[in-house]
Amino acid sequence: MARKYNITLCDGTSCIQKEARNIKDAVERELEKHCLTEKVSINLSGCLGMCSKGPVMIINPGYTVYGNLKVEDIPLIIEQHIVKKKPAAELVIETDHLYNRFFRVFGDVNFFGKQMRIALRNCGIVDPENIDDYLSVRGYEALAKVLTEMKPEEVVAEVRKSGVRGRGGAGFPTGIKWELTARQKSGIKYVICNADEGDPGAFMDRSMIEGDPHSVLEGMIICGYAVGSKHGIVYIRAEYPLAIKRLEKAIEDARREGFLGKNILGSDFSFGVEIRLGAGAFVCGEETALMHSIEGSRGMPRPRPPYPSVFGLFGEPTVINNVETWSNIPVIIMDGSDWFSSIGIGRSKGTKVFALAGNIKNTGLVEVPMGTTLRQIIFDIGGGIPGNKKFKAVQTGGPSGGCLPEEYLDTPIDYESLQKAGSIMGSGGMIVIDETACMVNIAKYFLEFTQNESCGKCTPCREGTKRMLEILTRITEGKGEMPDIEKLERLGNMIKKASLCGLGQSAPNPVLSTLKNFRQEYEEHVKEKKCRAHVCAYMMTYSINEKCTGCGLCRRACPVNCITGSAKSRHEIEQYKCIKCGQCYKICKFSAINRN
Amino acid sequence: MPTPIEILKKKRAEALNRIISKGFLSTKRVYVGMATCEIAAGSKEVMDVFRDALEKGLRDVYLSQKGCAGRCNLEPTVEVIEEGKIPVKYGKVTPERAKEIIEKHIKNGEIIYDWVIK
Repeated sequence: MARKYNITLCDGTSCIQKEARNIKDAVERELEKHCLTEKVSINLSGCLGMCSKGPVMIINPGYTVYGNLKVEDIPLIIEQHIVKKKPAAELVIETDHLYNRFFRVFGDVNFFGKQMRIALRNCGIVDPENIDDYLSVRGYEALAKVLTEMKPEEVVAEVRKSGVRGRGGAGFPTGIKWELTARQKSGIKYVICNADEGDPGAFMDRSMIEGDPHSVLEGMIICGYAVGSKHGIVYIRAEYPLAIKRLEKAIEDARREGFLGKNILGSDFSFGVEIRLGAGAFVCGEETALMHSIEGSRGMPRPRPPYPSVFGLFGEPTVINNVETWSNIPVIIMDGSDWFSSIGIGRSKGTKVFALAGNIKNTGLVEVPMGTTLRQIIFDIGGGIPGNKKFKAVQTGGPSGGCLPEEYLDTPIDYESLQKAGSIMGSGGMIVIDETACMVNIAKYFLEFTQNESCGKCTPCREGTKRMLEILTRITEGKGEMPDIEKLERLGNMIKKASLCGLGQSAPNPVLSTLKNFRQEYEEHVKEKKCRAHVCAYMMTYSINEKCTGCGLCRRACPVNCITGSAKSRHEIEQYKCIKCGQCYKICKFSAINRN
Repeated sequence: MPTPIEILKKKRAEALNRIISKGFLSTKRVYVGMATCEIAAGSKEVMDVFRDALEKGLRDVYLSQKGCAGRCNLEPTVEVIEEGKIPVKYGKVTPERAKEIIEKHIKNGEIIYDWVIK
C-alpha cells in the first residue's frame, strides 16, 4: 500500500508517562477526521532518547520532530503538516543526535523502529570504505571537540559520569578503567580494542567493524588522548577477512586525513593504531590472554591483580575495551554524559547490541536501551517463534551465559538483573529456543564448546569441564544415574569458584542454569530414560505400527538396512541393528513409525 | 593556528563536496548491503547488476555500498532513497529482483511493495 507519510510516536517509558498513548489516540482521531488514514501509517518506536522533550512525534518524509506535545497540539500539526504540507514550525524541536540518522532511513520498519541505535548508529547507512561518508555524518567531530575544548581529565570525567560499562560482558565501568590508566605515570601506555569475538552465534563486533570502522577508531583515539597513550592496537581474529580489510582501509584513510599519526588535527597529540590478528581462540577474548597473545606468547590468562590498567601489555598500563564500548564513546562526547546516562536503568546506562538468533522469526542485530525486557526483544522486535511452536528458553551471553525459561521473560536486560536470574549479559549473543530442543543437549553443546576452548592452564577448568562433559554425555546416552545430577552441580560450582579466568568461571553456567530451570528434564533423562523433545537419539526406540501400508519408503531410506518386510505388508525394525537416525520417522507418509 | 574543530569543519566541507561530485544529489540514491553476511547471501551479484546498469547509461542514480543494518533473514537488502519521500527498503534482493527494481522503481518510480521490508 502506498502511504505518503509515516508518523512515528515514541513509546518509551518516559513518553508513556507523559501520556504518549493519548497522543496516539488523538493522531488517529484527527487522521480519521481528515480521511487520511489511507495515506498515513503510524508506528510506535522504542525510546528515541529525547525523554526531556517528550512526548515526541516524528513525521516522515523530512524527519520533522515534534516535541513537548499536548493532545491539543495534534489537530494543528496534522492540519498544517499533512493537509497543508507545511510543518507547524512553532512545535518543531531541533535535534541533531548522532543516533538519529539511522532512524531517518529505517525508523518506519517495526523491527528497527523499536530499537535505539547508538553503537550501531552508522551501520547500514554509510559506506564503510569511504571516510567522506563518515565525515558527513559528523564523524571525528567528537575527536575535534575533545582536542579543542577538553582537557584529558575532563574527558575521563565525562566518560565516568556517563556510567558506560564494558560491553564485552563483565560490565566494568569504562570511566574507572580509563581513570586508573590515566593516573599511571608511565612513558608508554596502550589502548587496545578487543575484537576477538568468539561466541557461537554472535556477530555484533564483526558487523560494527564492517559497517562503521571509523567510529571504533574515533573512540580509541579519544581514549588515547584522555589517558595519555600514543599506541592503539586492534586485536581482531583472522577469521574476519572483510572486517580486517575495511579496518585497514579506515586506518589508512584516517592517517591520510590527519586523524591518526603525528599532531592529530594540528594539535600536539599523536596516536597510531595497528592491527594484530588472532588465530581464533575463544580464551583470547579474555583480556590477559589477549595481551599475552599480542606479546607473542601463548594465549593464556594470568591471575589478576595486577589489572591491565596498571600492568598490561608489555608490562605497561593498558586500557582494553570491547568494540561496542569504543563505538559508544563518540556519542557520549557529542551528546554529553547527562544525555547518555538518562538512557538505561539502574546502574546500567546506554544501550546494548544483541545478535538475535535461533528459533525466531526476525533474526538480526538488535540494539535496545538497557532495561528493555526479554519479552519485548523476542516478541515485539523478534516477532516471536515461527511455526506456532511454544517458547521454551532464551540463552543469553553465549557459552558463558545461562538459559532462562518463560517465567524470566519479563526480566529487564541489565547487568545485575540478568546475573540475578542466573545468566549474564555477555557480549550479546541471544539464542531463542523453542519446545523442540532438549535442554540437556543444549547444555552439552555449550559445554563441549568451552571444554574444547579451555586453554588448560588451571586444573578446575581443564579437568572439571572434561568430567562435566563426560557426565552429560552419559546422561544423554541414557546411562545416567541420579547421583550424576548432584555431581554436575557440585563440580559446576567448584569450577566457578576455583577457575583462573572468566572462561572457567562461567563455563558451567549453561549447565547450572538448565539444572536450576529445567531440572525435570534432567531427571526424566536419568530416571525414565526419556527425552521429551526427542533429540537424544540413544534413548529412543523406533517401531512400526499397524498404519503401515508396506510402501517400502522407510526400508529404502534406512541407512543400515534394519527395516524388513515385503511389499504391501507391515514392515518391522530389527532393534539390535537400528542406529536411531530417525530417517524412517521423517520419511513415512502414514505416521506409521512410533517414536518413544 | 586553526583549532582542531576548524580543521575538521574544513575537512567535512571537502568531504561533502567530494560526495556531491560523485552524484550524491542525484534523484535516487541506492545503497546495497555489503557486509560478510550480505555478500554470503548474494549481495555482490546484486551490486554487479546495479553497476552494470550504471555503465549502460542509467542516469541520476548514486550507488553506494553500506554495512549490515542487521536484518539477517531478509538479506541481501537494498535501499532506494529519494529526497522528500519515505526511504524504500527492499529485502531478499536477487539479481533478477534487482533488474526489476531498476526497471520499475528507479526508471518509473513504481515501488514494488511485495518486497519492501515492513
